[in-house]
Amino acid sequence: MAAIQLDGVTKRYGSITALQNVDLTVESGEIFGFLGPNGAGKSTTIDILLDFVRPTTGSATVLGHDAQAESVTVRSKTGVLPDGYHVYDRLTGRQHVEFAVNSKDGDERPIELLERVGIADAADRRAGDYSKGMTQRLVLAMALAGAPELLILDEPSTGLDPNGAREMRDIIREEADRGATIFFSSHILEQVEAVCDRVGILNDGQVVAVDTIGGLRTALKTDSRLDVTLESPDDGAIDVVEAVDGVSTAVREGAVISIAVTREAKVDAVRAIDEAGYSIVDLTTEESSLEELFAAFTGDGEETSQPDTQIAASEVAE
Amino acid sequence: MSWAAVARKDFHDAVQSRTIWALSGFFILLAIGLTYAYAEVPLLSGGQGTIGGLVFFLAGIVGTFVAVTTVVLCYRSIAGEAELGSMKLLLSLPHSRSDVLLGKVVGRTGVLALPLSIGLGIGLAMGILLIGRGSVQPAIVFLLWTFVFALAYVSIIVGLSALTGSTTRAAALSIGFFLLFEFLWDAVPFVVLFVVSGFSFPTSQPDWYPLLGQLSPSDAYVSGLTALLPDVARGTGQPIPGSGVDAFYADPAAGIVILFAWLCIPLAIGYTAFSRADL
Repeated sequence: MAAIQLDGVTKRYGSITALQNVDLTVESGEIFGFLGPNGAGKSTTIDILLDFVRPTTGSATVLGHDAQAESVTVRSKTGVLPDGYHVYDRLTGRQHVEFAVNSKDGDERPIELLERVGIADAADRRAGDYSKGMTQRLVLAMALAGAPELLILDEPSTGLDPNGAREMRDIIREEADRGATIFFSSHILEQVEAVCDRVGILNDGQVVAVDTIGGLRTALKTDSRLDVTLESPDDGAIDVVEAVDGVSTAVREGAVISIAVTREAKVDAVRAIDEAGYSIVDLTTEESSLEELFAAFTGDGEETSQPDTQIAASEVAE
Repeated sequence: MSWAAVARKDFHDAVQSRTIWALSGFFILLAIGLTYAYAEVPLLSGGQGTIGGLVFFLAGIVGTFVAVTTVVLCYRSIAGEAELGSMKLLLSLPHSRSDVLLGKVVGRTGVLALPLSIGLGIGLAMGILLIGRGSVQPAIVFLLWTFVFALAYVSIIVGLSALTGSTTRAAALSIGFFLLFEFLWDAVPFVVLFVVSGFSFPTSQPDWYPLLGQLSPSDAYVSGLTALLPDVARGTGQPIPGSGVDAFYADPAAGIVILFAWLCIPLAIGYTAFSRADL
């Protein structure tokens, strides 16, 4: 049984489309990283799983239960670290966890959960006086109450220092070892690659890739392809371009030379051909789609991948 | 019993409000002071103070205290949590939205019950000692009916708070409700009568006129108390709503029905909005 299943989920707020026909399956027992830039729709997706918002069309199933009709059942089996939450300033950390344990019919002692997240010494302080990192740990402790089958963590390392982020990853692994499914979102690749079995990438409200970390890594290392069209077919250009650092292979087909090259070396390759006296009439470049996605997701996507072609072309023109 | 967990949490949270305790302290002192005055100043009790007389004497300040304090205590109960984001924390746990509303109503009524129990408990005990005659039954009926009134008022304001995700709008709704039903309500029946009579004053009162005056929650509370303690009300010269009008609803018991309507209807409307809302 899939832990999470989204079928054609679309969510519109007025004229703004937050999610567009999202299909996604998270298998039971896996650690699934949900990646995407801020504003891609990660939190909206999570909000739909928890029935905080209702999809405009499509359906969501969590642990075999309809996310809307059986939301209380879903949430009774799910631990949640939501995004954009606020704690009860006047209640202590212990009272927060007590409330979570009572609500989940759990049998833990609140202090045990607070120990696990490393804030047991602040158990009787008002949560309003906690730092951002302590608050994040507190809400994680609430999520762990009742040993849930599924953990949904929205940007769990927000507000945590590197040490805290590492402890968060340790807890995620412990929970996975216990048999829980983990679904967590992040906008930072490094945070998920350490723990995730599989990753889904969301961009602009659409799922653009679902793969293992291994698959993503392979895709990331794949060279770009650069196609240079010369005025006349010439094998000499192959030798010239193969001598450039970063070029692995070059083959000619008619007047077009296809070059497998790293992103960084593309400009050098074009320049070498140009400087050797071959006149270039056209050039195109193709990135591996996942690399483009990652570039987009780290925030500089459109600026780096596509304009590469233009930069190269303009340098040639000089 | 999911609402019970919400109620307990909400009680522990709201009971720490300093504003509530400032209002409550004032009420407790006022209840004790007024009881003392009623028992000791013959002018106030008409010379022959009774427990029943004290009950109606205190009912007036209870009405005002409950109305003001509930608005302060509850206007943010749902809208505030939605605006701030603690509603996400609350609804991440397995509570339905009806459990959240019910838990809020019970938890905050519990908070309101504290100053009412202390103020009226001390006041009535003191009254019984000082006056020293008559049955204590009116005092018990009064206390219980006051808790029903507090529950109804809390569910009205929680219901209003559930209509919106904005604290500002929730404040406007609650204060507007208070102004209309507590501050202006004495004048509203006049205005309604004036308007339906073609902008002139009729020579006789229509049958529904007394009923209109009972519609505000605190008028319904006093009128319901009259219905629950009919002998005491007559004995103390309490005005009997609807007397002299020949209609089935012209009865102080209408106050009981009206208060139960206040208990259910605003909360049901608030629930309808809240259950559909995106957080």
